[in-house]
Order: sequence, then structure tokens, then C-alpha cells
Amino acid sequence: MIKFHLLRNGRDFIGHAILIFLPIVLLSIFNYIYSTNLFPIEVMVDSVEIPVILTIGFALTFQIYGSALSTETLAQDFLSPMRDRLLATPASPRKLIMSVLLTSIILSFLQTVVIVIFSMIIFEARFESLWAVLLVLLLSVIVNQLLGATILFLAKDAKTADAITTVYGTMTAICIELYFPLPDLRIFELLKKYLTPMSLARTAIIGIIKNNFQDILIGVLPLILIAVILFILLRPLSKKVII
Amino acid sequence: MILKMENIIKRFNENLALDYLSLDAEEGEVIGLLGPNGAGKTTCIKSIVGLLPVDEGEITVFGMKQDGKNKSIRRQIGFVTQDITIYENMTARENLAFFGSLYGLEKQVLKDRIEEVARIIGLEGRLDERPKYFSGGMKRRLNIGCSILHHPRLLIMDEPTVGIDPQSRNYILDFVEKVSAAGTTVIYTSHYIEEVEAIADRIFIMDQGHVIASGTLQELIARIKGDSHILVDIRLVSEEKKAELLTIADIKDVFIKDNQYHIIVPGGISIIDKIVAVLTPLGIVNVNSRQPNLEDVFLTLTGKQLRDEVE
Repeated sequence: MIKFHLLRNGRDFIGHAILIFLPIVLLSIFNYIYSTNLFPIEVMVDSVEIPVILTIGFALTFQIYGSALSTETLAQDFLSPMRDRLLATPASPRKLIMSVLLTSIILSFLQTVVIVIFSMIIFEARFESLWAVLLVLLLSVIVNQLLGATILFLAKDAKTADAITTVYGTMTAICIELYFPLPDLRIFELLKKYLTPMSLARTAIIGIIKNNFQDILIGVLPLILIAVILFILLRPLSKKVII
Repeated sequence: MILKMENIIKRFNENLALDYLSLDAEEGEVIGLLGPNGAGKTTCIKSIVGLLPVDEGEITVFGMKQDGKNKSIRRQIGFVTQDITIYENMTARENLAFFGSLYGLEKQVLKDRIEEVARIIGLEGRLDERPKYFSGGMKRRLNIGCSILHHPRLLIMDEPTVGIDPQSRNYILDFVEKVSAAGTTVIYTSHYIEEVEAIADRIFIMDQGHVIASGTLQELIARIKGDSHILVDIRLVSEEKKAELLTIADIKDVFIKDNQYHIIVPGGISIIDKIVAVLTPLGIVNVNSRQPNLEDVFLTLTGKQLRDEVE
């Protein structure tokens, strides 16, 4: 089942191209802007090198857009005539949902890894404790895929779910000051560091890079909690489409 | 008995979708389910598969109560959906392998069965191609193939020939005859009366949620055998003339289809001169009479022409 979904999901070449090449292009453009001193911008943000900050920001942002991997697949299976076909079989619908989620998590994480490796090779971005950074990025992928599925089961429509996650992804990227700086207010500081799953992941990754154990915990623990809550929520919410 | 539905009631809010519906099927039988749109055919089928719980009555499949949770029942049912439910981006082989795996077929068994099913549905040699490049008929055949990998005892086919070429239609009808000869019970819904006429051992005509007539083709036709059917082709039909025809004492019913009056007359056609007199001002092109067929049975019982429901 997982092999089938990996193949099926993997053949969405256009989707994968967008989710890999668009962040790489944006990363390159922003890095160019910073490196050519077109604007008077500091070479460090939050005491971390610009290419690293940009890589984290774009990788996390496109993980949110990448939740479309599971929402579109789940919608094709459970919000279309395929639903009856699948539910008429003795296979467990929950297992089907889980295998779609699992394969989407694997593919979205691989996309993130490509972005990180590209940044390390081309922009010489240095990630301290890379394995730990990748673990946080994996946790973030899990949260985003679960969140996408939750939104889909609530909205019962793939287009609505995609629209919501696109707006959410764009807003949270703005909150972490990926595109431009925000006013120096307490609320923006909180949004940037703690108030969204993306900012929590960013805080944890910066914590790893700066060896700040407190920031790692502040970022990772709520992310784990969110993942657990979303996973638990999935059961009653999926009932709306599989019964 | 493979299937027994007794006095099934299914409501959607205030709408009665199935109204004391009773239906049964024996091993190896082909049951034709006919009915206009909204008659309850799909609701009936979904109830049999266990996709829709019923409000009252009992459904027994393979001697077991269908409560929607019985996996043993699902393992023995093949469901061919009205919509083509295959993955267009996956090859025919991958589609068959996936659906076979959902029924728990073991790897080697599945591998052999895929080759076997490919021959049955006429897609041998095309297994490694993606259905998005297939014709409508080939997609339909793959859709069927995905439903028979596990050797179902009961095969439910919901409008399996919609929008396909005559060659693929014949292929599917031949297939139904073969699987039923091998002992599989088939429930077949269609808008094409001639298909049901050709393959069904028994026919159930549904309207407004219940079975209004059932039996073999001969039994159903015998119900309206006394009626004659007069078909009058006209240049331009008029509803007023229909009303006028209905005032003639011996006319049972009149239906208009395109430029044709379909007039049902009990007994012989001795009143044809009266009909001609009424319709002459409209410009008669042709007058015909014929013995009743299944379409006439359907028309007489439901007052609707099945094909028009689709068009």
C-alpha cells in the first residue's frame, strides 16, 4: 500500500518541481539581494548567517505548501467517487489514510532535504548538528501534513483546504520575517518565535545552531504536542468522510 | 440464496430513497436493475455493499447480516462503480495490484491473477501503460478488472457501459454472461434496456424507491401482453393533440418522444383510423404498430422513458 502511494505521489512531477525549485529560486534571489549589498542589510539575522536563515525560512514555508501532497491525495480518495470504491473493500480506511499521510511525510521531507543540501553546496550554508536540524524539519513536516489533513477533513473540499494552507503558509512566513522585517513590537516578536508551528520550528533550529538548549525545548515540545493533538483529532474528523 | 433484501426503508432527511424495497438473488443469477434517475438504484446498491446503513428492514448477503462492518461480506463482493474509479497516473498493472492488495491477495497469487484478469478484460499487452492514455472503453474494462481480482461471489455493476464504444460494450456483456456461467451472481444496473434484456435472468423495475415489477423478461412482457403499441411519426408534435388522443375511449396512454406519438391501446389496433384522424393535421410521416418489449413494460409501469432520463 505504501509502495503504491509512494509511486502515485511521486509521479506528481509538476507538484514536486514547484515544491523543490520554487524555494530554491526564491532562496537564490533573496541570497543574491543580501550578498550584493543592494540594500543595507546586516549579514547576520538572530546571530545566524543569512543563507542559513533563508534556507530554514523557505524550507519551512514550502513544507506548509507541501501539505497539498496529502490533502490532494486524500481528497482524490475520499472526497470523490473513489471513496465508495475503496470503502467497498475489506481494507481499513484508516490504514489507507495513514499510508497516504506517511508517504506524503516522506516525500515532503525529501523535498526539504534537497533544499537544505542545495543551500549547503551552493551558498555554503553551515548547519551545526545537521542531523538535529533535520529531525526538527521532519517534525515540522509531520505537523504540516497532519494540519493539512485536518483542514481537509474540516473543509471537505481540496480547493478550500489548499487555499487555507496557502494563506496560512504565506502569513506565517511573513510572521518569521522571511520576506521583510516587521515593526519592533512585542506581538511580532512573539509571532516570530513562538506563536505558529513554523516559528516554533524556526526557534528550535536556531536553538540547535546556537547551542541554546532552552530554545530547542521551547520549539520542539509544543511541536510534538501539536502533532499528537492533530493525530488524535484525525480519528473523529476522518469519520466525517469514511462513514 | 446469495442476497435477500426485505422491506428496506432508507431515508435521507425527509426523502424516502428506499420504500419497503425487497429484492433477492440466487447463485449465478444475473439480476437487471432498471429504473429512472432517482428511482433508488444506487442507494439500493450501496446498501447491499454496506456503504449506506438502512433505517428499517434487513439485508442478508451470503447468509450474513449486512451491517456495514462485516469484512467477510466485503471480501466476497466486487463493486464496479458507475464512475471510473481507477488511478489514471498508475499503470493498469499497478492499479490491479493495488486493488487486489486491498482484498488481501498474496503477492504471487496476485501476480498470476493480474495476468488472468488482463486476459479476461482484454488488456493483456497493455498492462504497463497508464489508463490516462486508454480509451473510455478500456478504462471501463480496467475498472471492472479491479473489481474481480478476488473472485467475488457477488459482482455489483452500476452502469458499467456508460459512454463507451459498442465493441467494449459487447465485451462487457459477454464478460457478464461468462462470470455468471461460472457461478458469480451479478447485479447489473443500466439505462440501456437492450443490455438488461440481453443478459438478465430476472429484472427488477424500480421507481420511487420500490420495486414496481420483477420477473423474467417473458413474465414482465406477459403483464402488458394485451396492449398494442402504435407509433406515429409526425412532422411537428403537439401537446394539445396528445390531450385529444386521450379523450378517445380505447386509448390507455400516450407518450411523446421527439417527433413520435407512442400510443398504448388495450387489445387490437382497430381504432387506428381514429388516431390517424386526430393526427393528420400535424402531418403524419409514418404509422407503425408492434408487440410490446421491455421498454414498453417500463413505460407502462413508470410512465417514463428510460433513455430520456439520461439524455
